Amino acid sequence: MGAKYHQSGSFLGSLMGHHKEAIVYSLAKLWQSNLSTWITLAAIAIALCLPASLHLLLQNLKSLTDDKREVPTISLFIKQDISEQRARDRGELLEELSQIDKVVLVPRDEALKDFRKITGFAETLETLDENPLPHVLVVTPHINLIGNPEEDMEKLAAKLNTYPEIDLVQMDIEWVRRLRSILRIAERAIFVISALLALTVLLVIGNTIRLNIENRKEEIKVSKLIGATAAYIRRPFLYTGVWYGLFGGVMSLVLVHLALLWFVGPVNELARLYGSTFVISGLSVATTFFILFASSLLGLVGAWIAVGSHLRSTKLEE
Amino acid sequence: MIEFNAVSKQYPTGQLALYNVNLKLNQGEMAFLTGHSGAGKSTLLKLIALLDEPSSGEVIVAGQNTKTIKQRKTPAFRRNIGMIFQDHHLLLDRSVFDNIALPLKIEGMRHQDIKRRVRAALDKVNLLSKEDQFPMMLSAGEKQRVGIARAVVNKPAIILADEPTGNLDPDLASDIMHTFKQFNEYGSTVLIASHDHELIKEMKKRIIVLRKVKTTNTKAGLKNGR
Repeated sequence: MGAKYHQSGSFLGSLMGHHKEAIVYSLAKLWQSNLSTWITLAAIAIALCLPASLHLLLQNLKSLTDDKREVPTISLFIKQDISEQRARDRGELLEELSQIDKVVLVPRDEALKDFRKITGFAETLETLDENPLPHVLVVTPHINLIGNPEEDMEKLAAKLNTYPEIDLVQMDIEWVRRLRSILRIAERAIFVISALLALTVLLVIGNTIRLNIENRKEEIKVSKLIGATAAYIRRPFLYTGVWYGLFGGVMSLVLVHLALLWFVGPVNELARLYGSTFVISGLSVATTFFILFASSLLGLVGAWIAVGSHLRSTKLEE
Repeated sequence: MIEFNAVSKQYPTGQLALYNVNLKLNQGEMAFLTGHSGAGKSTLLKLIALLDEPSSGEVIVAGQNTKTIKQRKTPAFRRNIGMIFQDHHLLLDRSVFDNIALPLKIEGMRHQDIKRRVRAALDKVNLLSKEDQFPMMLSAGEKQRVGIARAVVNKPAIILADEPTGNLDPDLASDIMHTFKQFNEYGSTVLIASHDHELIKEMKKRIIVLRKVKTTNTKAGLKNGR
């Protein structure tokens, strides 16, 4: 019995034909399917939603911390017994340093005025005999001299601390650094959550495909009887898995963006109250594609696992 | 084309289905396999189509010992055998056309060629007008003919049929048998398991009788008819 298969066209051509057939067939099956398919898709979408939205949250918090439009500053609190003139002189001397771009003196009286305006602590402040606020020098470092900002800022701060007039050096990036280290922990937490939810998606799709196989046992049997290869039988199921992953991914993106829309208003309001130019950002194109790719891959792997054990053997059990 | 040398088949349950079967079927030959139910007719056909393997002895199909065929090669091997079952094994959710096209799709044939071949097969079994219908809409005889069309559409070298007329009335049964004869005349080797003695005699082809295995140690061999 000679090899008379692939009578028409090349091996590649017939393989492409097989894939096309499997794609069309699996899509048609999905399209015809019932409520349970939608429930499965929704479960996948929700499972994917969580890591995606956590990622988005993290992304936004990060963008809040590396806002390049605001150059970090260092506040130098001058000792109480130092006169305004001496503070001003110190400021002028500091301005000559190469690392420093600009020094602005905020005299204690001006600071008090501003403080009254901003906080509504007016009455409380009235009760004090004297102004509790020190003179402050606001130092803007030379941003282009700063290669490794955090380290250089720290060095500069240490240097500034050695001047006798200065009581306290406070870097504005302190909170940024703290937040960043918190975010680094959050990043790991999200990774763990993502891994667990990816496993959930894998199991959901795997189980769906397994039921699918169960429902189409007869078809598989007949296909085997008339000489279908394991790959041929496996293919539509693998594509079904990919579709579940892909469509679940699309649904999760829609959900995330709907949620985002709901957040935009309040977040902008909050940003305005803080006088920040912060704007909430959505998922980047790269992230969007990554989510779709990852979810499709999960679908493929889930289907592969479900199909693998079932179809490996070409034997038939009647 | 088909050769059995001292083939026995015992199922894991202990049931002895075949014992020491020797048989030779030449290329282009047509033969009927008969015997009481339980004599192992179906088992014998399954051994040829690699649906099962012998416990001992060797089965040689188209010059190849079936034991030496790797599992990976089994599907390609099966594609050269057209198999017809008593219960037609059609896919109920696909049209007549799609059912018959299945073996060709598996082979990766182009769509135009599939269309042509399926129509030709349908024409041979006189069902050209039914290609868009679904199996549920067909009569038992028609379903069986669709099954035959599917088995022969890729022009297999060997056609095996297991009680193909079991569910049909005599006229239809005779019709089906003549269809097989026709395929044999086109060059296929045909082996049909049937217990319809009247009909088999009518066909004037070689008849192979399988005797039921009574007890172990009883030689239940094989008698070549005619």
